[in-house]
Amino acid sequence: MSTRTFLYALWCLGVAALFVLSGIFAWSPFAEGGRAHGYSRISGPTHK
Amino acid sequence: MPPETELQLPAAPAVKALACPACGGSVALRAAGYSVSVVCQYCSSILDVTDPQVKLITEYRQAAEALEIQLGSRGTLRGIEWEAIGYLQRSAADGGAWDEYLLFNPYHGYRWLITDGRGWSLGEQLTVSPSYSDYETMMLGDRAYTRFYEDSSARVNYVLGEFYWRVAVGEEVVGADWVRPGSMLSREKNAHEVSWTRSILLDHKEMAEAFGVQKGASWPPMPHQPSPNAAWLGTGFKIFAGMFLLLTVLILAFGGTSWVTAGRFPIAPDGTERTVTLGPIHLGHLYQRVEIRADVPRLENGWVDLDYTLVDRKTQQVYEAYGAAERYSGSDSDGPWTEGSRRSSISVASVPAGDYDLVVDYKGNRWNSSTTWDYARGMSVEDPGWLNQDNQPEVVVEVRGGALFASSFFIALLLLGLPLLIGLIRHIQFDKARQAESDFAPTGFAALTQSSEDDEE
Repeated sequence: MSTRTFLYALWCLGVAALFVLSGIFAWSPFAEGGRAHGYSRISGPTHK
Repeated sequence: MPPETELQLPAAPAVKALACPACGGSVALRAAGYSVSVVCQYCSSILDVTDPQVKLITEYRQAAEALEIQLGSRGTLRGIEWEAIGYLQRSAADGGAWDEYLLFNPYHGYRWLITDGRGWSLGEQLTVSPSYSDYETMMLGDRAYTRFYEDSSARVNYVLGEFYWRVAVGEEVVGADWVRPGSMLSREKNAHEVSWTRSILLDHKEMAEAFGVQKGASWPPMPHQPSPNAAWLGTGFKIFAGMFLLLTVLILAFGGTSWVTAGRFPIAPDGTERTVTLGPIHLGHLYQRVEIRADVPRLENGWVDLDYTLVDRKTQQVYEAYGAAERYSGSDSDGPWTEGSRRSSISVASVPAGDYDLVVDYKGNRWNSSTTWDYARGMSVEDPGWLNQDNQPEVVVEVRGGALFASSFFIALLLLGLPLLIGLIRHIQFDKARQAESDFAPTGFAALTQSSEDDEE
């Protein structure tokens, strides 16, 4: 196994470990929860 | 069965000393009986050693070039000790020059060390001729070589040392080359013969240990230099496929979700904010994602603000989120249009186990206000739009618990694929640079990325 293959395999294990942790802690950077109450926004169609 | 006979090694050629007729210097002939010419190390005269009288063929005096490998020096390559006995400098018609050192071992014969300043190759003359597989490919055994340099003349510019043929400055052959990663197949033709040589690319460390040479330029790559990324990319894609399967299995392990509660709540026609509480909501996992979905079936040209507060009954820990369902429609010069959705879905991450209440503050809104004439009352009144009481505006809130976000899966795939993508781009750049020297059109990935301008050229 070449050094690059080994490093990539190590990287993959790290990513898989993070994926498992994100599952255990049910975490995501894209979760909406936690936004401040009273968040101001503009309503109405925007496509025109 | 015939009796076993002991293998007899050929007798090692003796080292012979000659006196140079030009300068009188003592010239050592290291492969006596094999070499037919030798160049005097003192005056650079070429001597014909097949003539007992050591006839002087030609004589020239040039400033001695500083050779990277001194003639007479020995080095071990692939387990065999070789002595450098001859040096040639050659150049092609297009001006590219390279050096060739003739190596000798009395039991293994001759080899060539070839360099163009970027790396070293060990060449061995073949006793079999390769055969064409197709127009582009030459086969040697079961190994395919791709054409790289077409037939062009190569001229000897400088010569030093001893050789197994009568070599002279100005001697020309017509050479062509085929390559595969790590080795090159070269054909040389002259009026009398065709010879084939296979050159194997040597590792710089191996050459440094054998002959103490310095590392050459590493860019652009040599014609037969293997891409440093090609070797691991194949295995890397297999690892990626394995990881994809693993993540899919993990999704099945973490991805289960279930609706835990739901409620249906009327929306105030006058647009005032209302508050309802759903609960208790029992969350059993250590941590979970809580997804809250709101449906407003009668929503049209308006929106519903939804403020969610998830409160842990035991610790009073609060998790907040905001959502909105908005839906608009109309008609203009382009025809009818719609925008938005009557459904809103949000997620709260990392909610610990416990019993929760979900407090929902919600408020219906109209996008455009208009008036209609009330005949019964004889006056114009504001049109409530979708908030009309007869329309029974309501919001349906559902809550479900789970563990895994789909985004985590895609982020993981992106992170897994990123090194492969970078490796692939670097491999393509390498292969393009490598094939840029070729006399033929690029092949493989280098061909895929060839621009239309290149095609026109």
